[in-house]
Amino acid sequence: MKKCSLRMVLYELRNINGNFMPHFFGIVFPNLMCVLLSKTVGRQVPEGMREEVVTSIMLTMTLVIPMAIMLIGYGALYAQEVERGIPLRMRLFGLGEKCEVTAKIAAHLVFLTIAFVIFAVFQGLVMEVQRPALPSLLCLIVSLYLIGVIFLITAHAIANILQKFSLTFGVTMFLYFGMMILTGMMGMRTDQLPEAFQKVAATLPMTYVSNDFIDFWQGGTYNFMPFIQSFIFMGAASGILLLLSMYKNRRIS
Amino acid sequence: MLVTIRRLQVKYGNQVALQIEEPVAFEKGERIGVIGSNGAGKSTLVKALLGLVHYEGNVVTQLKPEQMAVHMQFNEYVTSMPVRYIMETILGTKIKGNKELQELISFFDFEPCLSKRFHALSGGQKQKFTIIMVMFQKAELTFFDEVTSGLDFETRQKLMEKLARWYQDKGDTLVIVSHYYEELEQLADKILILEKGKVAAFGKKEQLFKDYCGSVVFIMENTEKNRKLSEGFPIIKSPEHLLALSCESRAQEREVMSVLAENNVNFKRSNSDIEIMFMNAREQFYRRQEGNRV
Repeated sequence: MKKCSLRMVLYELRNINGNFMPHFFGIVFPNLMCVLLSKTVGRQVPEGMREEVVTSIMLTMTLVIPMAIMLIGYGALYAQEVERGIPLRMRLFGLGEKCEVTAKIAAHLVFLTIAFVIFAVFQGLVMEVQRPALPSLLCLIVSLYLIGVIFLITAHAIANILQKFSLTFGVTMFLYFGMMILTGMMGMRTDQLPEAFQKVAATLPMTYVSNDFIDFWQGGTYNFMPFIQSFIFMGAASGILLLLSMYKNRRIS
Repeated sequence: MLVTIRRLQVKYGNQVALQIEEPVAFEKGERIGVIGSNGAGKSTLVKALLGLVHYEGNVVTQLKPEQMAVHMQFNEYVTSMPVRYIMETILGTKIKGNKELQELISFFDFEPCLSKRFHALSGGQKQKFTIIMVMFQKAELTFFDEVTSGLDFETRQKLMEKLARWYQDKGDTLVIVSHYYEELEQLADKILILEKGKVAAFGKKEQLFKDYCGSVVFIMENTEKNRKLSEGFPIIKSPEHLLALSCESRAQEREVMSVLAENNVNFKRSNSDIEIMFMNAREQFYRRQEGNRV
């Protein structure tokens, strides 16, 4: 089997660039949503609280970027490839799944970085947000990249298991909106949800970013343990899904 | 032996798609043509050898699946970039800096297509694209599964001519699955005939012809006049619009030839017609099956 190369990463970047979904859902949508929500909600809160509320909305909206690019965008892109037998064709040319997934993760992380930079510059120009403490900012960046990788692996596994674009798109969309509701990204706070839903939300790292990060955005202390545990849980779940999908599509020798 | 297949069985649900009882061996440097009706198990055989379907039995080989190259019946690629980038990624080399690849591209007149996207290529160009990459792999065993299906007659012929020319003096082992007999006549030296998932016949082209058709066959139009003239000669299975007479000896051959010539009949003499050979092997296969049942 061939090893992952820079050429493979460039190929994947070209592939992302030729698809409108990551651009729309990962760049246009979160930027517009953030501005729209901030302007609407910002008007309804007292002047003194406005900056904090807008910052909280921005923090929540940053989560949309990895979710949209990795779960929806990548899921749709890869499911189309699977349906047309492209990954199998690549495999028959000696490009193994490990090499493929590595290149796809690398390329998507590059695209994710571009999306983050555009988001930061655009929101910085348009909105008035609180300046973060450096550790808090680093913590957010690392979390967003980790969430992105977990979602890419999840979407990859779902597409490989379901083998159909329509099914994969349906499932990833369900997960996307389901998680947005559960983690407080749709306006409803997690503590307002029924208890069972709150327990599910506690296993998702996005819940903590969306609800708690504003509390230490400009400094302070925070108990990271539940947050780290949620990463371990989601990472393990996506890893198991990936192994299952690889087993399902293995070649016999 | 490069590959030996022993008691291979592939099932799709409850249906047996392929069942090879007697050992079938592919030796290094051989060109094996695989032929059979629709659903005979040709593509299933290729998939089993590549490890793409579950099977029972043994495929004995030192080769790993990735050491085999294959041109599948359907080959798809992303449409988000010009095919040049896809080719360079798959082959792990720059076209500009690789003379061997350039030679292959130019052999198939593919240069003008490199800047096009895959969906913008014609059927023949799409096939050429995969063929170039498969050939460049220089695998120990290469499969061509219905390379020309869906192509018009002229494109098909040109493509096969190119393939035959490229492999003329090379020692590569090829397995060519095809519905077109003339393609196998051009490329194969051994024929594997599959029917209903079973091996109807396997062997050297010439030997199989002798076994199922005799030394020589005379093929002519199936008219009333020709049928009358053929009375007394052994008629073997042929397409409905044709009549095929089998000859076992030189004397018999001369006799048939003189009758046909005297009566001004247009005919074709052949000692390698794969279509007639296939039809007769298939007929005998069904006779054997019926015999086994009785």
